[in-house]
Amino acid sequence: MDRMVLVTGGTGVLGCELVRRLVRDPDRPRVVVLSRVAREPENGVEFVRGDLRGGGGLSLAPTVHAELSHGVTDILHCAAATQFTLPLEDARAANVGGTRSVLEFAAGCPSLRRVGCFSTVYVAGRRTGRITEEDLEDGGAGFVNSYEQSKNEMEWEVRSRMDDLPLAVYRASTLIGDSATGAVPAFNAFHHALRLLYQGLAPMIPGDPDHPVDLAAVDFVAGAADWLFQNRFEPGRTYHLCSGPAASCPLDELIDAVVDAFHQFRPEWRRRSIEKPAIVNLPTYELFVRTVEEAGNTILLAATRAVQSFAYQLAYPKTFDTTSTAAALEGSGLRTPPVLEYLPAVVRTCIETEWKAKSG
Amino acid sequence: MTDPRRDQIAIAGVAYCLPSSAFTLEELGTRGSLKSAPETLAGFGFQQAHIAEDESHVEMAMRAARDLLEETGTDPRDIGMVIYAGALTSSSTLAVEPAPGGGALYLPDLLDLFQYPVSRVQSELGLTRAAAIGVDQQACASLFSAIRIGRDMLIAEEELSAVLCMGADKLPPNAPREMIYNLISDAGCATLLRKGGSDNRILAVGHVTKGAFWDAAEMENEIIAAYFPTARTVILETLRKGGLTIGDIDWIVPHNVSLRSWEILLGLLEVGREKLFDENIARVGHTIASDNLINLRDLLGSGRVRKGDHLLLFTFGYGLNWSCIVLEH
Repeated sequence: MDRMVLVTGGTGVLGCELVRRLVRDPDRPRVVVLSRVAREPENGVEFVRGDLRGGGGLSLAPTVHAELSHGVTDILHCAAATQFTLPLEDARAANVGGTRSVLEFAAGCPSLRRVGCFSTVYVAGRRTGRITEEDLEDGGAGFVNSYEQSKNEMEWEVRSRMDDLPLAVYRASTLIGDSATGAVPAFNAFHHALRLLYQGLAPMIPGDPDHPVDLAAVDFVAGAADWLFQNRFEPGRTYHLCSGPAASCPLDELIDAVVDAFHQFRPEWRRRSIEKPAIVNLPTYELFVRTVEEAGNTILLAATRAVQSFAYQLAYPKTFDTTSTAAALEGSGLRTPPVLEYLPAVVRTCIETEWKAKSG
Repeated sequence: MTDPRRDQIAIAGVAYCLPSSAFTLEELGTRGSLKSAPETLAGFGFQQAHIAEDESHVEMAMRAARDLLEETGTDPRDIGMVIYAGALTSSSTLAVEPAPGGGALYLPDLLDLFQYPVSRVQSELGLTRAAAIGVDQQACASLFSAIRIGRDMLIAEEELSAVLCMGADKLPPNAPREMIYNLISDAGCATLLRKGGSDNRILAVGHVTKGAFWDAAEMENEIIAAYFPTARTVILETLRKGGLTIGDIDWIVPHNVSLRSWEILLGLLEVGREKLFDENIARVGHTIASDNLINLRDLLGSGRVRKGDHLLLFTFGYGLNWSCIVLEH
């Protein structure tokens, strides 16, 4: 039987990487990417027009729906609304509703062998401590933002269908760039926080200076997901695609490494005498944020909110267990790159592109 | 290796002068002297500002110095050096009213540039044996610089036994009374440094200047952001020089910037709120360079400081300057 892989979110950071790997696959599967706009085939990839937001399936044209549901063997569901500041209902509509649409479609695919759903390690929300790959709590500890909460709810939706569909969940960490080149396919909250640090508008960050911060390389996460999905697919499993404690570094060292990279790649930055941000407890950080809000300083308020998007999670120190992932990656030849190996190159990309353009 | 003579220099006395006129936030708001709403500044811990209407800056400084000499029983001829610190250009340059025309600086004659406040002070207070030195350009940290220089001069010069550090600042008439969310008052103060004192020995001083932020008008946001992490660094480094940790500090004697900013800085330092002597922030406001000495006098006068207590004085000024002094009572 010919393989046909349907990809949602194929133009996103992770989806794009996975599509690139699929078209290089020697088995030459048929790769179909769901797209909201009509697009011509490109580099071995077909595009079908559809939308996850319509509810009740993929909003495909009837003939397309019939062809796809008949032929699809694999689904990679990467689509997500990843903004941290969306109203919860909007985030739910995209991440829970969108997943429900994919699963509904999957249920009507007689040739379906596997579905990979992408999530985030931060479905753990405000929990602290060690988070295992099987852990999924109902949010009693709360969440830092609507993205985390909607992805947590998405995972519950996926788990509720694991008895009747071949589903696996891949939880990615914060993706910061390519481990070989430092290229940044898209700037996210982490990179914006770096920019504010660079501009001297980030006086403090909440967190524990000695606790590791999990950041991950795009190429590693995509490579691991590709391997697990194609070669080690096991329905009902959840995997942490992250650096894990061994390849992460403590928050204090991370900030030092960023500042060192600023000095290395912009020597004149040193003349600006910008002090590295203080690492503070959450009440102090929240008092600062409240003060900025009360003062009504729009520039500092925007900067504080931007830092907050990334940094707030640091106030809830946690480590992500990777036992299942590490076992399943045996034989893949993949190595988890330590973040300090490629962080400087990522910072260089940010500086050289002025946080504006895509690179790589 | 720390010079053992350093901790033999002590603050032998402090005095200050606040103008008699005080205006509430509401009154200042009505006068158009505030950028923020009065309730915003009230939320940051301020209540009123003292405004010198009849007194000149030099007169306020001299009144404080006279009180100090009298209280400490000091013969003016024992003062071997007087250091006059001014945060504002008008304070450090003019021996008379800073700006009769309402501007920040008023110099009708070229020779006015040579009318130094410190010379006038030396003459009017009878400090006939005192070498006169002016210190400025550290803004609110100017008096800390004066104290640092005075301490080091006492260490360096055997014959020198007492140094008078003093200063005052007065904003021009009708000037705005708010800077970076702080309520500004006028005031003067004076302190006497002596060799061999047992109370309030100076254990360490620290000072960091970041000239990259010299353009205060253009860099207000960066200045606010730079304030906190650098303050922590300077304080911890000064404590290290004094052989202390933050846990050894019994009292923090603040500059009277917003109480909220102190609460945040205490969080950065992991110091309990009860160690902050904050009682003057509402009553006095931020008096440019005199805050810490005003607060030191009132704290010592409250009787709450015990022998052996460690006091940390910290201030911050445009320029930018962060400055810290650690005392042992």
